[in-house]
Amino acid sequence: MLIRGVPSAVLTHLVCLSLAPWTVSARADEAAELVELRRQIQVLTDRLVALESNADRAPSVSHTPTLETLDQQLRVLQRQRELDTEAATEKARATPILNLGPGGLAVRTPDTNFVFRLRGYVQADARWFVDDPQSAVNDTFLLRRVRPIFEGTVAERFDYRLMLDFGSGQSSSAANIGWIQDAYVNARWSPGLQVRVGKDKEPVGLERLQSGSNLLFVERAFPTLLVPNRDVGVQVRGEIGSGLLEYQAGVFNGVADGGSGDTDRSDEDKDFAARVFVHPFARTTGFLRGLGVGMAGTYGEQSGPLRGFTSPGQQPVFSFFSGNGSATSPSVAANGVHWRLAPQAWFYHGPFGVLAEYTVSHQDTTHAAGTLSSREALDHQAWQVAASWFITGEENSFRAVTPREPLRFQDSGLGALELAARVSGLNPDHDSFPAFASADQSIASAFEWALGLNWHLNRNVKLQFNYSQTSFEGANKNPLLADGERTLLGRIQFGF
Amino acid sequence: MNTRLARWTAALVTGALLVVTAHAKDLELLNVSYDPTRELYQEFNAAFAKHWKEKSGQTVTVLQSHGGSGKQARSVIDGLAADVVTLALGYDIDALAQKGRLVPPDWQKRLPHNSSPYTSTIVFVVRKGNPKSIKDWGDLVKPGISVVTPNPKTSGGARWNYLAAWAWAEREFKGDQARVRDYITRLFKNVPVLDTGARGATTTFVQRKIGDVFLSWENEAFLALKEYGADQLEILAPSLSILAEPPVTWVDRNVKRRGTEAVAKAYLEFLYTPEGQNLAARHFFRPRSAEVAAQYKDRFLSLPLVTVDEAFGGWQKAQATHFAEGGTFDVLYRP
Repeated sequence: MLIRGVPSAVLTHLVCLSLAPWTVSARADEAAELVELRRQIQVLTDRLVALESNADRAPSVSHTPTLETLDQQLRVLQRQRELDTEAATEKARATPILNLGPGGLAVRTPDTNFVFRLRGYVQADARWFVDDPQSAVNDTFLLRRVRPIFEGTVAERFDYRLMLDFGSGQSSSAANIGWIQDAYVNARWSPGLQVRVGKDKEPVGLERLQSGSNLLFVERAFPTLLVPNRDVGVQVRGEIGSGLLEYQAGVFNGVADGGSGDTDRSDEDKDFAARVFVHPFARTTGFLRGLGVGMAGTYGEQSGPLRGFTSPGQQPVFSFFSGNGSATSPSVAANGVHWRLAPQAWFYHGPFGVLAEYTVSHQDTTHAAGTLSSREALDHQAWQVAASWFITGEENSFRAVTPREPLRFQDSGLGALELAARVSGLNPDHDSFPAFASADQSIASAFEWALGLNWHLNRNVKLQFNYSQTSFEGANKNPLLADGERTLLGRIQFGF
Repeated sequence: MNTRLARWTAALVTGALLVVTAHAKDLELLNVSYDPTRELYQEFNAAFAKHWKEKSGQTVTVLQSHGGSGKQARSVIDGLAADVVTLALGYDIDALAQKGRLVPPDWQKRLPHNSSPYTSTIVFVVRKGNPKSIKDWGDLVKPGISVVTPNPKTSGGARWNYLAAWAWAEREFKGDQARVRDYITRLFKNVPVLDTGARGATTTFVQRKIGDVFLSWENEAFLALKEYGADQLEILAPSLSILAEPPVTWVDRNVKRRGTEAVAKAYLEFLYTPEGQNLAARHFFRPRSAEVAAQYKDRFLSLPLVTVDEAFGGWQKAQATHFAEGGTFDVLYRP
C-alpha cells in the first residue's frame, strides 16, 4: 500500500502541499472543486484512521511477520495452488485432446463422447507371372488399395466411418461403387446391441471380414469370391457374454457373389444376412482359448448380371455368358433364390494361427439364347485353409499384430517375421456348362497352394512376399489358363 | 418387398420400439444449480421422486450438477442438457434466454414470486470469539483483515456479496461514488484467494482456515456452523445486507427435446408446496410461504435488507455496471 509505513505527520504535510493549488482555485469561487477537495481529504482521512487503528493494535511497528501471518501466507499459497490445480483439471476436462501416433490422427473430447480419427493405408503391389513365356498376362506394379479412413464418434454412442479407395482400377461411377467402400453410422445401445446403417461389409465371409490391411496373403483366397463384399443396408450386431459370442444380422440390397453395390438397380428384393461366431473357450486360459467357430449365410431373391471368378493373380478364370441374348450371343442372369452358407473357424495360439472356411453359393440362374432359354440352380463352392507362424514369437491374431521389437536401423530390433501357407479350392457348378459358361474358356475347378513371408517392420509398415501356384481343370482352349498360374506377389503397405 | 422380408422388418421395428418404450417409463431430470444448494436438493429430489411416483406412477431420478452460478449458466448455454436450472441470480437465467435462447425472455413470470421459491441473504462468518472484532462492513477494509469471498465473475453468491458491500458503502458514504469505489477497492485488496464458487470459499475459510471473515450465503453459513460446530465459528449479521432471490426455471429447449416438460414443471412447482417450503427452510433458505416462514422465524437472522431492484435498478443494470467485461469490478479489483 502506498501510504503504509509513512508517519501521519508527513502525510498531513503532503496533504497540505497538495492543497496549495486547489486553494488558489477556491479563491476563484470554484465551489465544485472545493467539494471534490473535501471528498479527497475525507478519503485520505479514512485511510489515515485505518492506518492508525492498525498501528494501535501493533504498537511495536515491527515489520517482522508474525507466526500467524506466516501461517496464513502459507495457507493462502497452498490454497491458491489447490485452486490452480482444480482450474487446470477443469480446463483439461473441457479441452479437446489431439493425438498423433501409429493409429493416425485423433482428436477427442476428454470424455471421449466426441472423437474424430483420420487414418488410412496404401498398398503398393508387384504382380509377377512366372513361366509366362507368351507374355499373355502383363507383369505389373499397381496400387492395390489407397484408402483414407475418416471415423469417430458423436454424442457418445454414435460411431461413424467413411472409407474411400483410390486404388488402381477403382473408379467413380453413378452409384459410387468404386470410391466409397464404407460409409455407415453405428449406434451403440450397448456392447450386445448395436445398429449399423449404411454401406459396410455384409457379415458373411471370414476372410472378407478381415481388414484389407491385416490380410495374411496379398490376395484373398477363393471363398471370398462367393460371398458378398460391401452392400448398403441395416444390421443389428453385438457381442454377448463378454466376447463369448458375436452376432450380426441384417437386411441388405443384395449383391452378386464377390460384388459390391450402392443401390439396388436389378430388383426390389432384399437379402437377409446373418452370422454367429462363438469363442467357446475365450474365458479360459487353456490351449483352446483362441478358438473361434461360426456360421454365416445369406438368403434372398436376386436378379441381374452375375460376376465371374478370378485367380489369385486376379486373372478372370470363369465368366458367365454376357451377350445380348441372341442365338449367337447368349446371356446369363441371376433370376431367383440366392442363398449362401459359410461355415468358418479360426484358431490362434501364441505365434501360431490357422483360418479355415468353406462357402457354398446357390443361385437360380437363367440363360437366354435367341428363342432358347433355360433355368438352372447353380451351386458354386470354395474353401481354404491358411496357417501362419510368427518366427519372432509375436502373439498371432485375426487382427493387426504389433511387432515385439519394431525395426530400428541402429540396434537389434528386426520387426516381426511371419511365415504363411495356404491351400484353397474353387469348384464352380458343373451344370454351368455349356449353357451358362463356356467350358473351353472357363475353368471347371481350381486348386491353389501358396507360401508367404510377411515382415511387419512396425505397426505402420508391412512387407509381403507370396508365391502362389494354381492349377486349373477345364478351360482347355484358354491360353492364359492352360498351364495353370504361378505368381510372385509383393506388397509394401503403409498404414497410419 | 417380399412378405418374408416385411415380417422380419416389422419384427425388428416392433422389438426396438418395445425396448425404447420400456426404457421411456423411467424419467431422468438434470438440475443444474449453484454451489450451496447441494444438500437442499438431495433431500428435495427424494421427496419429489416419491411425490411423482404417487402422482403419475413414473420413477423419476433427478441428477444434480453444482458449481458457481455464472459458470453453470455458461455450461448450459454451451450444451449441458439441464432440464431445470436453479441458479443464484436472475441474470444467469437471463443469459440462457439472451445468449442461448433456451428459455423465453419472460421466464421469470412463469412461477410465483418472480420464480424465486426461496430467498436468502449475505452474512459474515468469523472465527469463534471473533478475534479481529469484526462487526460491520467497515471493519473488512482495515489492514490486517483477511476476507474470504468467491469471484464475482464466476459465482452468484460473490456478486451478492459485492452488491451488499456496495449497498452498505453507498449508505455509509452517503452516495459519494469515489469513497464507495475506494471502499470496494480496499475490500478486495483484503481478499487473499478468489474461489470460483461459494462452496469452494467455504472450504477455504472453514477447512483450510484462511481468513478472518467469510462473506457467505446465510444458508451456507448455518450449514458450516452445523457441520463444523459452534465452537469453531460464529455468524454475524452486518448492519445492512441484500435480499438474494435465487430463481428457478425449466429449460424449454431441453425439456421439449427430451420429453420432460411436464415433470420438470412439476418439479419446480413442488418447491412452492408446503413440503418444498419446509425443506427449503430446514436447509436455511428463507421460505416464501408466510405460514412456513412463521414456523421457522427464529431460524434466520434479523437484519435490514435492500433489494437489487431498489439499490441497483435490477440485475441487468447491476451486471452491466459492475460485472460485465470492463465493469466496475474489473476496474477496481487488481490482484
